[in-house]
Amino acid sequence: MMQCGWPLMGPLRWLHYLNKEVKVRAGKGEEHRGWLLSVDPVSASVVLVSFGEAVAVRVVMGHAVEAVEVLRAAADDETAKRLRSVFLPPPSPCLDPKELRQRRDAVRRWLQENRIPVEEEGEELKVAGVLTIAAPYSAHDCRSSNQIILDRIQRLIGIQDCTNQGLPL
Amino acid sequence: MATPVPVLRLPKGPDPNSRGFDPNSPRFIALCRTSISSSAASDTDSEQLQKEQDARSVLREGFLRCLLSMTNKKVQFQMYENVKVEATFGASDIDVLNFQVSDLHTPIGVQKEALIRCQDVISFTFEV
Repeated sequence: MMQCGWPLMGPLRWLHYLNKEVKVRAGKGEEHRGWLLSVDPVSASVVLVSFGEAVAVRVVMGHAVEAVEVLRAAADDETAKRLRSVFLPPPSPCLDPKELRQRRDAVRRWLQENRIPVEEEGEELKVAGVLTIAAPYSAHDCRSSNQIILDRIQRLIGIQDCTNQGLPL
Repeated sequence: MATPVPVLRLPKGPDPNSRGFDPNSPRFIALCRTSISSSAASDTDSEQLQKEQDARSVLREGFLRCLLSMTNKKVQFQMYENVKVEATFGASDIDVLNFQVSDLHTPIGVQKEALIRCQDVISFTFEV
């Protein structure tokens, strides 16, 4: 299998293809067109998206890429906006500041009841100095570089959420 | 008197703060030979390396979000030898070497759980 230079180009060159409409030749004569959303730096796989009746995503594996040709160097505003939001989660409904404060206090108290050191840092909660919880303080809003603590805190908050909603644990 | 048992020192586990992307980490060397390492040129220029790392994280985040949005969706895999299969996507490993899928529809039946080798896949597609 002859391999072209695509996987060897590196992140800086791949970055140039972002948000451009490209044609990718792959495998045995396959051709795919779409807007290039990303290139995985680990496997050189190309993520293409096309907007038809539905939003269709095609990922071409890096090892199978034969050639990448740029068809359109820039997207119009509408397309650029759609590209940015393809994989983003739907925006969470905005809670008013009073509800946010109540929620923050509830989460803080729950963590403290479970003997977890937590402080308020502005609008966010700082847990054990290594994990940050931003509004609206759900399990998804936890950010940390420590996987073990992240997992524990997410589970703990998840338990509180399930209890509040009367769902089984 | 009981003889003292020598204490075994277990090998150090993976560095919890990185994901094995450091090309000098033992894990990377052992497992990721097929992964693409950073370019040789950037070894000598730290500013270039910083730019490359920034690009790398932007690109990887985009790809990970793609994988995330694929979970539990029906995905059509185009493999070599003109093989097309459909399955429900479960997860990928960190090096994108294997995909865990459920309900894999093959010509000889439906496989409840399966691992698809990424080297066998040309491309795959799904609807958001």
